Amino acid sequence: MAILTDQVRQQVQERFAEQLSGPVQLTLYTRPGSGRLILPSGMGCRTCDDARQLVEDLQHAAPDLINLDVIDVSVQEADVREVPTLMLAWPGEASRIRWLGLPAGYEFATVVDAVERVSSGGHGLSEATVEALSRLTEPVDVMVFATPT
Amino acid sequence: MAVASPLVSARTVEANEFPELSTRFGVQGVPRIVVNELGAFVGALPEPQFVDAVLQLAGVKSEA
Repeated sequence: MAILTDQVRQQVQERFAEQLSGPVQLTLYTRPGSGRLILPSGMGCRTCDDARQLVEDLQHAAPDLINLDVIDVSVQEADVREVPTLMLAWPGEASRIRWLGLPAGYEFATVVDAVERVSSGGHGLSEATVEALSRLTEPVDVMVFATPT
Repeated sequence: MAVASPLVSARTVEANEFPELSTRFGVQGVPRIVVNELGAFVGALPEPQFVDAVLQLAGVKSEA
């Protein structure tokens, strides 16, 4: 089952052709999927298969600039508890941008947007924000709880 | 913000998929923004207020 319609796939491809300039690294952490709605804690993953298809579609939209690694946490040890987790990074750097859960609906748009920002390095923030961020001396972790509507 | 500053890391959590995390961080409405796993605020704020709120919760003094 395709997650994205042909039209959306085409749109993403066109946007990426325009907006992407540098390489990005996507890493998806998954576990073998399950169609069961209720799963014992730590077993299976209801949305991993969908997440995998979604990020594969993203990667196919700009295969020269987007590298995708898929890591099955049931096989390979990883410092990731929640699956699916998608990490976005500059190649060779630790990821500081993550999505926990299937980034569907509006969240998918935030993934597309973030891929473009990381690729181009254009954060799109105001000068005042950049100045404010320059006052940081310690790492800050920001979690945003959202729903995919 | 994470693109603009190497000191910022950002995680978006699908609240329905991870009820344990949602409960742990007191999620009743979305978007709920949790800073350094301690302070939090609710609602999509405009950029200046959002940045102020995050920095305040992170313990960064406002400009002199």
